[in-house]
Amino acid sequence: MTAEAYAAAEGLVERSAAAYVAGVPEYPADDGYYGPASVTWRVAGDLGRSVAGLRALMLQALHPLAMAGVDQHSNWRSDPVGRLAATSGYLATISFGDRAAAQRAAARVRRVHEHITGTDTITGRPYAASDPALLLWVHATLVESGIVAAESFGTPLSAEDGDRYVAEMTAAAELVGIPPGLAPASLAGLRDYLASARPELRLTPAAAESMAYLLDPPGLDEDVAEIWADIRGGVLAVLPPWALEMYGYPPQSLTQARQTEIRQALGVFDAVFLGEPGVLEARQRITLRMRAARQA
Amino acid sequence: MRKAIAAAVAAAGATAALLLIRRRRGHGRLRLRRGIAALRLAARGGARYASNAPRLFAAAGENRQQLRNDLALQTAEDIADTLGAMKGVLMKLGQMASYVDDGLSPAVRRTLSRLQDSVPPMSPELAAGVVTEELGQPPDRVFARWDPEPIAAASIGQVHRAMTHDGRAVAVKVQYPGIAESMAADLDNVSLLRRMLKVTAPSQDVDALVTELRDRVLEELDYRREAENQRLFAAYYAGHPTIGVPAIVGELSARRVVTSELSTGARFAELATWSQEERDLAGETIYRFVFRSLYEAHAFNGDPHPGNYLFHGEGRVTFLDYGLVKYFTDVELEPLIHMVRDLCVANDPEAFRRAMEEAGFLVRGAPLSTDLIVDHMAVFYQLVRESRPLTITPDYASAVVRRFFDLRSPVAAYVAIPRSYVILQRINLGLFALLGELNATANWRAIAEEIWPFVQAPASTPIGEAEAAWRAERAGASGTAMR
Repeated sequence: MTAEAYAAAEGLVERSAAAYVAGVPEYPADDGYYGPASVTWRVAGDLGRSVAGLRALMLQALHPLAMAGVDQHSNWRSDPVGRLAATSGYLATISFGDRAAAQRAAARVRRVHEHITGTDTITGRPYAASDPALLLWVHATLVESGIVAAESFGTPLSAEDGDRYVAEMTAAAELVGIPPGLAPASLAGLRDYLASARPELRLTPAAAESMAYLLDPPGLDEDVAEIWADIRGGVLAVLPPWALEMYGYPPQSLTQARQTEIRQALGVFDAVFLGEPGVLEARQRITLRMRAARQA
Repeated sequence: MRKAIAAAVAAAGATAALLLIRRRRGHGRLRLRRGIAALRLAARGGARYASNAPRLFAAAGENRQQLRNDLALQTAEDIADTLGAMKGVLMKLGQMASYVDDGLSPAVRRTLSRLQDSVPPMSPELAAGVVTEELGQPPDRVFARWDPEPIAAASIGQVHRAMTHDGRAVAVKVQYPGIAESMAADLDNVSLLRRMLKVTAPSQDVDALVTELRDRVLEELDYRREAENQRLFAAYYAGHPTIGVPAIVGELSARRVVTSELSTGARFAELATWSQEERDLAGETIYRFVFRSLYEAHAFNGDPHPGNYLFHGEGRVTFLDYGLVKYFTDVELEPLIHMVRDLCVANDPEAFRRAMEEAGFLVRGAPLSTDLIVDHMAVFYQLVRESRPLTITPDYASAVVRRFFDLRSPVAAYVAIPRSYVILQRINLGLFALLGELNATANWRAIAEEIWPFVQAPASTPIGEAEAAWRAERAGASGTAMR
């Protein structure tokens, strides 16, 4: 494992926004894998999505092999902001892009994954980024985090919509290389899977370092950092107690006042994001398509 | 741009800064700087909002109207998505900031003032639903004619044209449904706002500021209050030769709907293309309106926003939007009168200093020479210290704002704005920016002397003469507060 220091998080908002804008097509050839009537589009635009993304990363990092792959191979330490931006761009493309764009993006990720193999120095186990078991952990934590964050900070999904979302997202699982039928297709199935994967998890030094960085990235604009502190509070508030314990955080309670405050902070963050070039237009492209679908 | 917007942050921000400095002088500098950074965030979010939307619409060319219709807010959920979770509050703060200028180009300032345009209009059905809920019947029954296409965006709502059953052309302002509740909830939880001001409790000053901001914004959410304000101004200025206030149609107004006489006239942008003489006359009327209202009616319309005027030539101006009106008591007004009288008329710097201290503008016993204080404050009074024609240039307007934001001055550490005057400051800065954009010239001192209750000089201009005649006709009206 390298001991390379993390680069500062300057430009986090700007670069994530640019990646997001690039992922939302102006002239889509088709509705992609989900379409404007999908639950996926709603969750992708939910106020809780920043919390969802960070919560997913915190859970993903607890899988030692997934973490080792990121830590040993990617540009995570030298360019963490670029890495985060690329991930949000990928998610935007998979969600909102047409099928060809989603396939291109997924093929690129699968190609990169092929070269990521090695041995985790902590557990001594070999890993491969294209291992469906690792991909499934990453996939499942992301899907569940979307639901959990919307529940606490955005627009909660009904039970049916929760199931629909999990089922819809199996398309993303297949795109990234998880064999069909492996990704859970219902909320209950998702929760069963997450519980079954628990014995695999442990907090490695790489995970601890990565997440400490992520929760308090140095070099953020001061005003963004202020908001980030509330988002961090939101992430910790919705992490499962066992995950908090692994990271060494005390149990969290979320008062209604604090919940409101975090929602407000997410709103401010959203306004800042919306202020980046092209974001409003991208949002409006999505809104127009969702409206058309609603009326159809 | 970013620096400019930082400086453009609301008078509220400036006031916060001054309050903070007063309390935290010495070790508080960092906190102060961070407070400004946080408010800058509010302005930044708002500002870019504004600059993006018009581009989208411009790019759409002839499809523009269609696009606006397609994006229209159709449900209360759409409104919550667009303006909920602090975004409405941020927009309002950004709007408050939009005419405070420190070296902002007019283009950027206009962009800021268009903030509201970035929010799409309500769909005709949604707007009609609000009218139905508020007035008991759908708009095409309540009114003889109803134009479902809004003619303008308004503060947290939009304006429709209509015709009453007795044949009056009216403007009907309709509020976004749910916005009042959502903004009130956001303002109820002031801890984020307080933290954005970057102050740890307990601090009386910041609490006062946050409370004042909250109260004023909450007031704006109830259109009945605005209707009442406007009715008072309309009654006060009835028959005035150059000041027009559209009459309220009370029976067609409610909490989320306010109906007033429809006024037509040139917008501020158009006035800027008129002759300098016309611009001077318009500037004179705006100046008279602001200070007549303050000194004589004890009321201040707190929104010197370029969108709030219609110009008719020869100095005639219609004043729109009474959402933010501050009423002063005699006791609140007295120190202001003393300050201007002591500095500009009596020319007594020590008395001026005492008046500032009594009003709470200046810490008592500050270790500063009176000359230094007068020197610091002079820029705010420059227009009225000498009786001669002066042009309010954009540079001068910027200098006023810069002085207001000048935190390095030794005087700044001892200056504060008491809560009652927060809105006053906002108007003053906005007024200077507005008159600066007009490059308006007048003998402001001579006009002020007509208005100052302790001078009551004879008319100094043709508008002044017409106004004097109007005043003579209004028996018993002079010196009467609106309430």
